[in-house]
Amino acid sequence: MVEANQSGCLFVGEGVVLKGNFAVPDIASVSGVVEGDLSAKQVIVESTGLIRGKVTAESVDIRGEVAEHLTASRSLIIRSSGKVGGSVHYAEIEIEKGGTLHGDLHLI
Amino acid sequence: MFSKKSNESEENSSENSQNQYPEFTPEPVVESEPAAYEGSSNRINPTKPSIISEGFEFVGTITSDGVLNISGVIKGKVTAKSVLIDSTGLVEGELFSDQVMVKGKVLGDINCDELNIGPLAEVDGSVSYDSVHIQRGGKIKGHFIKK
Repeated sequence: MVEANQSGCLFVGEGVVLKGNFAVPDIASVSGVVEGDLSAKQVIVESTGLIRGKVTAESVDIRGEVAEHLTASRSLIIRSSGKVGGSVHYAEIEIEKGGTLHGDLHLI
Repeated sequence: MFSKKSNESEENSSENSQNQYPEFTPEPVVESEPAAYEGSSNRINPTKPSIISEGFEFVGTITSDGVLNISGVIKGKVTAKSVLIDSTGLVEGELFSDQVMVKGKVLGDINCDELNIGPLAEVDGSVSYDSVHIQRGGKIKGHFIKK
């Protein structure tokens, strides 16, 4: 969990719906819904989180859901409750047992 | 070697025992087992695995109702209940199985229920699975479909 007052961070609480494109210099933690493109250094999708759009980050940690497109230039972790759909580009991947991946996988 | 003295001795000589392999396993595939498996006789699954050893290359179709350990090379279609592809193993072709553990390389489609991909594994092909676990470092390319 990310503290809400850290500089350079985006925190989307549960129940919040964000629409648009977001560039986050540091950590983006999503417990709500993001509709649109999100780029950050690190993206954390909590179990209630959903991102509908293009996600670009160095490292991505998914307990919730990411639909459409995902690029993780360093590491990608899909936890047991995580769901990923669409095309995925990654450098290093880990999927915990129970995690769902439905789409194309590409190695960078 | 063939009449394994297991605990289920009443099944020992009966033809309908599912895991007796003379009925199911293609003969050329079976090679003698290294000590690693004999030593761990208290494993959960009493079935003897069929083994493609390192340096062994097989071209064709393999069908088994049991466990298949691949350390060598298979070019063709593989169907088995459980498949282990060791770090030196390579499968070029289709793979159908309930359980698949990949430590080596698979070039081709995988169709399975439970898929486990090790940290040094390489998979290139379309994968259809029910449950998947990929350990960090596994290199996977292709299309993933959850059944």
